[in-house]
Amino acid sequence: MKAARIILPVIAALCLVAASAPGWRWALPEGVAPPAVPADNPMTQARVELGRRLFYYADLSADGTLSCANCHVQRHAFADSVATRGGVDGSSGRRNAPGLANVGWLTPLTFADPGATTLEVQAVTPVFGTHPVEMGMAGREGELVARLARDRCYRSQFARAFPASGGRIDFTGVARALAAFQRTLVSYGSAYDKGRMTAEQRAGQALFQRDCAACHSGPHFTDLAFHRIAAADPAASDQGLFEKSVREADRGRFRTPSLRNAALTAP
Amino acid sequence: MSISRLKFLATGLAFIVAGEATAQMTSDEPPACTAVMAPTGELAAWITPVAVTAAGREGRSSAAPLMVGQAAQVTLLPTPEVAYPVRPDKPGGSVSYGGLLRLEVRQAGTYRIALGSGAWLDLVARGKALTSVAHGRGPACTGIRKMVDFALTPGRHTLQIAVNGEPQVTVMAVRLP
Repeated sequence: MKAARIILPVIAALCLVAASAPGWRWALPEGVAPPAVPADNPMTQARVELGRRLFYYADLSADGTLSCANCHVQRHAFADSVATRGGVDGSSGRRNAPGLANVGWLTPLTFADPGATTLEVQAVTPVFGTHPVEMGMAGREGELVARLARDRCYRSQFARAFPASGGRIDFTGVARALAAFQRTLVSYGSAYDKGRMTAEQRAGQALFQRDCAACHSGPHFTDLAFHRIAAADPAASDQGLFEKSVREADRGRFRTPSLRNAALTAP
Repeated sequence: MSISRLKFLATGLAFIVAGEATAQMTSDEPPACTAVMAPTGELAAWITPVAVTAAGREGRSSAAPLMVGQAAQVTLLPTPEVAYPVRPDKPGGSVSYGGLLRLEVRQAGTYRIALGSGAWLDLVARGKALTSVAHGRGPACTGIRKMVDFALTPGRHTLQIAVNGEPQVTVMAVRLP
């Protein structure tokens, strides 16, 4: 009972926070333009707050054990600490969950799917995907909506985040809110960004520019292109871009990962 | 002891690493198994669990004891029915399961909590979650999914189990030599 007495006011406070801050203002360093935002999903405080809560909401998975945050761990710069993680059905994972720093600026978003061009589109894959199964909700969208609708705070938050639809709770809204939250995961505070590197770091930068920056280029240290760095192996369990394009030339090609917060995102 | 037996034990031990419990859900995926193997040593009783029903509140956890050295097949509660004395790092969704067990420690030492699932566990004493000293996977193919070690002093502890995908889980606490 004591725990419930503590939790309820906190939830109520979160609902009020979501309600009291309309609109959105980016806090970015000078010269950094905001990321592209889909016209049908404008940034608002209410959507960001809803997305943040959904990001940590394990009921997005079939058995209530896996939230986005389980694989995108905040203390690891929203990356995973293991190479792969199994799905809720016990099946094996296939690819390492990348960090999410500055993910709003990245497109395509994932290692081998050129169709995942927006965060709204990408949200479908972990929740409903079957290759591999992650959160295991394929065919269970109605159940997901029912879980959210049972929660008074979610009903309130959806109403504030999506007033034009009367607060309709559906996966489109879930994906839009998650995308809005992820666009707030901004990283421009490193010594590199501030131009305050040590002599050793500057020496490393020179080596990096010579040997790494052909692919790890730009402000997010990725050229966002698909590359193959070893000989194609048709027997490999992960064929990369080929699995989507079915073009022989795409076997073993993967999108260059961002190196933002690389010190925290191993492996 | 055969070489293959030694290799098996070495494999099981190799996955215990020193570190805080904050990493306890980061254990990598378990190996594929063709047959279930019985654990040995302190964990030998893993295959003969007794039935225990977890409590939903700390005050009632006296009715849900976890005996050192005795495996328990624990029936959990729906997560919304559990009032954790300390909020778990991974509390789980409304359709997951959890519960509380009482662990009475009579002798100081390092204790290992073995779990048959990837659920989150915390050991709470005097209102605070204790920091683990090591964590890792159980011996391969034994059904022990994870193990978390704690350095404990005598007294009553509450074992919090959270974010379990099934209503039952096997749990065992052992004192390490």
